[in-house]
Amino acid sequence: MEFVAPTTLEDAYRALATEEALCLAGGQSLVAMMNLGLASPARLVSLRRIEALRGIARQADGSLHIGAMTTHAELAELESSAAGPSLLAQAARVVAYPAVRAQGTLGGAVAHADPAADYPVVLTAAAATIEIGSPRGTRRVAAREFFRGIFETALEKGEIVTGIHLPAGPPDARAAYEKLSLVAGDFAIVSVAAIVGRTAEIAIGGCGPKPLLLSEVGLSDEALLAAGKRLAVVCDPSDDQRASGSYRRKVLPGLIRRAVQAAMVRS
Amino acid sequence: MSRKLTLEITVNGEAHDVLAPASATLLEVLRTQLGLTGTKCGCNHGVCGACTVLLDGKLARSCLTLVANVGERAVTTIEGIAGEQDFSPVQRALIESGAVQCGFCTPGFVIALSALFAKEPHPGREAIRRALSGNLCRCSGYVKIVEAAERLAERRP
Repeated sequence: MEFVAPTTLEDAYRALATEEALCLAGGQSLVAMMNLGLASPARLVSLRRIEALRGIARQADGSLHIGAMTTHAELAELESSAAGPSLLAQAARVVAYPAVRAQGTLGGAVAHADPAADYPVVLTAAAATIEIGSPRGTRRVAAREFFRGIFETALEKGEIVTGIHLPAGPPDARAAYEKLSLVAGDFAIVSVAAIVGRTAEIAIGGCGPKPLLLSEVGLSDEALLAAGKRLAVVCDPSDDQRASGSYRRKVLPGLIRRAVQAAMVRS
Repeated sequence: MSRKLTLEITVNGEAHDVLAPASATLLEVLRTQLGLTGTKCGCNHGVCGACTVLLDGKLARSCLTLVANVGERAVTTIEGIAGEQDFSPVQRALIESGAVQCGFCTPGFVIALSALFAKEPHPGREAIRRALSGNLCRCSGYVKIVEAAERLAERRP
């Protein structure tokens, strides 16, 4: 295996243009997979030295542009009353463990697209946009289109996730992220991200190969439970070492209601 | 076969030249090349916390850190925690509370607690438990470890 650590995106694109080359962001998933023999890239392109992938910029409309190499720990420190940033910060605080949060990155987690991960769910609820770079320029893909399946995204060979555009959310909207897991830091059994204004935008993780979305859901108890029960019937959660598919279906409606109610009481 | 790289890394304040495959983890190099065997290899995929070190003062799994990617960041291992003293206050607190059983997980716990106390001099029980959430103790001696940290938090000025 070869290792390169370019300082510019142009050099990174050049280094990626060979067979079997992979980007190394924080390494918290990729190196684990290499240690387990599940990944064996011929070349690793470390993104650590590329300044253009760092930093959080607040735009005039309250939305954020977040560099792909921003760590979970940095996102966890975001203080914002706006629904979108608040939702992302809540999720960042429960990604894995402190040591993983200190090194793991937003862009890495997005590109990896683990179906049980936290960010795909919150970025879907918040209607975020994934910014993708390549030698051909920059393209933007809605998070709701970007995540396509188990470890499958809209990313094509030679492209790099360079940043995330996170809308502030509707004025006066609030947000909550509810994660059901066996122990703190584990992947979710089921997770629910909710942005709640006059209606709720709700994304669900752990109940299929990619996040599920419920749009414009009413806020009454009955409306939430009914939407959750309808989704539980049609979704296709898998059985795994954490829980059975039928358990996931069973807890889903209650977790949806809990997320929306938690959002409504947040200041 | 992984191509070998010549690298310079700084561990516990000392610069070392190492020759390692590009796929080598910091954990492997610490233990097999530098003889710093205080850092333990438990799961080797980031779950157990026994290999935790500091990179520029930030927590890191050395098993998930490629040595080639360390760069200019200063590595601190358990061997560098006490410095010139016999033991650091965190180590002393663990000893006094009987918070060490087989000891395999202890270096990781010491590093996790050292990072916590560097940021927060008087953490409460919840903060301590959160800070230790990424470290497994298979003797399940968590209660004593949390008590040790609470005692240290009370004792500190």
